Amino acid sequence: MTKLTRVVSVVAAASMVATAFVAAAVPSQAAATKTLIIATDVPLQGSSFDSNDSTNKAIALYLKSIGGKIGKYSITLKYYDDATATAGAWDAGKCSQNAQSHVANKAEIAVIGTYNSGCAKIEVPILNQDPKGPMLMVSQANTNPGLTKSWNPGEPDVYYPTGVRNYARVCTTDDNQGSAAAQFAKSIGVKSVYVLNDTQTYGQGVAQAFTTEAKKDGLTVLSSGPAGQGWDATQSDYTALFQKIAPLNPDMVYFGGIYDNNGGQLLKDKVAVLGDNTKVKLMAPDGFTGYPQFNSDPNAAGAYLSFAGLSNELLVKNSPKGAGAKFLALYKKTYKKDPVGSYPIYGVAALQVILAAIAKSDGTRKGVTEAVFSGTGVTIPAVQSVLGKPLHISTLTGDTTAKDITIEQVVGGQETTLKAWTVK
Amino acid sequence: MSIITRKRSGKKQRAPLSQRTWSIGFLTLAVVIYIFYTYIVPHTPDGFQSQIQIWFPPSALNEALVWVIAALGLNIVVGYAGLLDLGFVAFWAIGGYTAGWFMSGFFNQWNIHFGSESAKVIPGIHLSFWLVLLIGALICAFFGILIGAPTLRLKSDYLAIVTLGFGEIIPQIFVNGENIHGFNLSNGTKGISPVDSIGLLGKRLGPFDLNYKYMIFVFMAALMVFISLRLRSGRLGRAWLAIREDELAASMMGVPLMKTKLAAYAVGAISGGLAGVAYATHVNGIFAERFQFSISIILLAMVVLGGMGNVWGVMVGALLIAWVNSTGLPALGDEINSTFNTNINFPSYTFLIFGALLILMMLFRREGILPESRLKLMLHESDADEGNETPHDQISEEGAM
Repeated sequence: MTKLTRVVSVVAAASMVATAFVAAAVPSQAAATKTLIIATDVPLQGSSFDSNDSTNKAIALYLKSIGGKIGKYSITLKYYDDATATAGAWDAGKCSQNAQSHVANKAEIAVIGTYNSGCAKIEVPILNQDPKGPMLMVSQANTNPGLTKSWNPGEPDVYYPTGVRNYARVCTTDDNQGSAAAQFAKSIGVKSVYVLNDTQTYGQGVAQAFTTEAKKDGLTVLSSGPAGQGWDATQSDYTALFQKIAPLNPDMVYFGGIYDNNGGQLLKDKVAVLGDNTKVKLMAPDGFTGYPQFNSDPNAAGAYLSFAGLSNELLVKNSPKGAGAKFLALYKKTYKKDPVGSYPIYGVAALQVILAAIAKSDGTRKGVTEAVFSGTGVTIPAVQSVLGKPLHISTLTGDTTAKDITIEQVVGGQETTLKAWTVK
Repeated sequence: MSIITRKRSGKKQRAPLSQRTWSIGFLTLAVVIYIFYTYIVPHTPDGFQSQIQIWFPPSALNEALVWVIAALGLNIVVGYAGLLDLGFVAFWAIGGYTAGWFMSGFFNQWNIHFGSESAKVIPGIHLSFWLVLLIGALICAFFGILIGAPTLRLKSDYLAIVTLGFGEIIPQIFVNGENIHGFNLSNGTKGISPVDSIGLLGKRLGPFDLNYKYMIFVFMAALMVFISLRLRSGRLGRAWLAIREDELAASMMGVPLMKTKLAAYAVGAISGGLAGVAYATHVNGIFAERFQFSISIILLAMVVLGGMGNVWGVMVGALLIAWVNSTGLPALGDEINSTFNTNINFPSYTFLIFGALLILMMLFRREGILPESRLKLMLHESDADEGNETPHDQISEEGAM
């Protein structure tokens, strides 16, 4: 009896493996000689699914709109998911596995992604050491400064073991966003600020940049520490925190973090203790943008928000006939709704950078990476760029030279674009 | 009680043979997989290679082995000693951070190099991977005893709650450990990366030396299997089984409950620590947010699904679930979506599938895929009495004692 079950289970396992191998043995479509694959690598599970799904759709749509070709190469896409169900978000193991797969799949030429800076920190060093590379990665959404410039000790060199750069991004970094917010605060007459952060990578990054810039611009920073005071997302009440702040009389409070980290309660207690946002101004980074719940909260009225890049709204307003506006219209026509958030359009910008690099290159991974990081580098002219202005990738750092920040204000339950802010 | 009488009458010769068959099978499979990936795959057509990358990428295999190492440890606690542990992820986290502390440039205020192949100029603590394995194992054993100590007087549900708490507290300490009175213990949610690569016989393993890492992980898994089997057939193992089956009876028979339970926690924790160190080198970093409750649950599912108490069963369960979680389900989903032109997000159903699978298992095969004979006998006591047949399994494993 048991022997039989054991045999059955072994046979079952063996046949499963065999089936998989038979399935594997069926050759995939014969590759045309000049077909190159561009991979996208974003989390397709968890709360960021909608935004990333839009990104994949936008990239596919753009590629289709240009005929799926660049120069003498035809381009296909391959989607990678760097999340697992267990984690419910990006997963370090999956990121590492994806990076290995990017390198192993010979037809893959470059990667668009990742969405999370933490995931990029795992993938970039692996792609960097690709024997046929380094392999180019262009991110639409990583805002952590350490990936491209001196930030924490050892950064960014730890991510480039071969000493050659292979990572670029089309969005601005948290430090620029923090700086822009501080400059903006000064411009509206703020004299003293109190900085809070949600103790996470992103939150601390923007809060630190805000603090540094505020001090430089002569504002009085009332909070101590390089990134201000941390708020614990698991706490149920922040009255005590704000009662401590109240006697300091700040003109503005800065929430460096994301709304998901109990931002609603934080906002409620801020208004309850310090007064509404006209009395003591409130400013927050893009971690508080895109939340209808935040915008419709009466306590949020008048709050200032910043976004690392140009909002879709601003994009269309700046150049109503530009490539970006046209593409957004095409997206709406094709999928019957707008892309979720602003990162999809930046995904398309990342694709444009990679396509331009391929056009300039000899069609090898090394060539494509070199096209971005040597000589004149890659520039997308304003006419073509979906971001509505020339997009140039610095050959030294891989950062974009367009340091656009959008300043918004919550008015009447809506995020309204106040102005574009270019970091000085 | 029928178990004991049957045991005596068993044919003793079969026992080591059966055990040996499994070990030889394990070794053969490990070697075949190694040869397949190292010598055969690189010479196959590109189409086949990309299919391998989709269905069975070598790095997913390595990660699955890390799960195996951890699941084998949990098997000692849950499968052997019958102590429900819902916080095993804590040991994985501690092991991972041990690698983060002693194998990276994280503590850049110090500059200590010992046996590491990393460049001497980089500040930080850089110890040899093998030494760190040992340190990780020791630290985890210490914490295993620490968690074991207060749970001694607790049983079943209460014990589970304490372990659950432990599993929540430890990752929280790492998440918030960025500024402990000015000391940066864990770098918070930013995590520690990169971690030094493994040094093997004077060679530094690069990111693409997956076959060497595979060998190292297989060796570690084999070591855990060896430890599990040897302990199980020894005095300690029999004491664990006695506690599992009836704690009161065991203590009446003179089994020292305290020592035995602590030993189970310590040995289990050791393997959690080994898995943590292996994982940190596998992903080249360690991130606090990964260590969630769901990891403990998945590990528990591996043990239950595979066959509580049977190392081979646990191994099969771990490999299977790890594969489904990381590669199998997404790949299968893509395949189905492209074949039927649908747009279903398969990975989002992972827990539904696991749940359904576990319920089905509990209904039809409570003892797991490869059951432990003893447990099976207990669960099917009535069937066995009717059939009056001695299962071969039972003899083979009991005879080893």
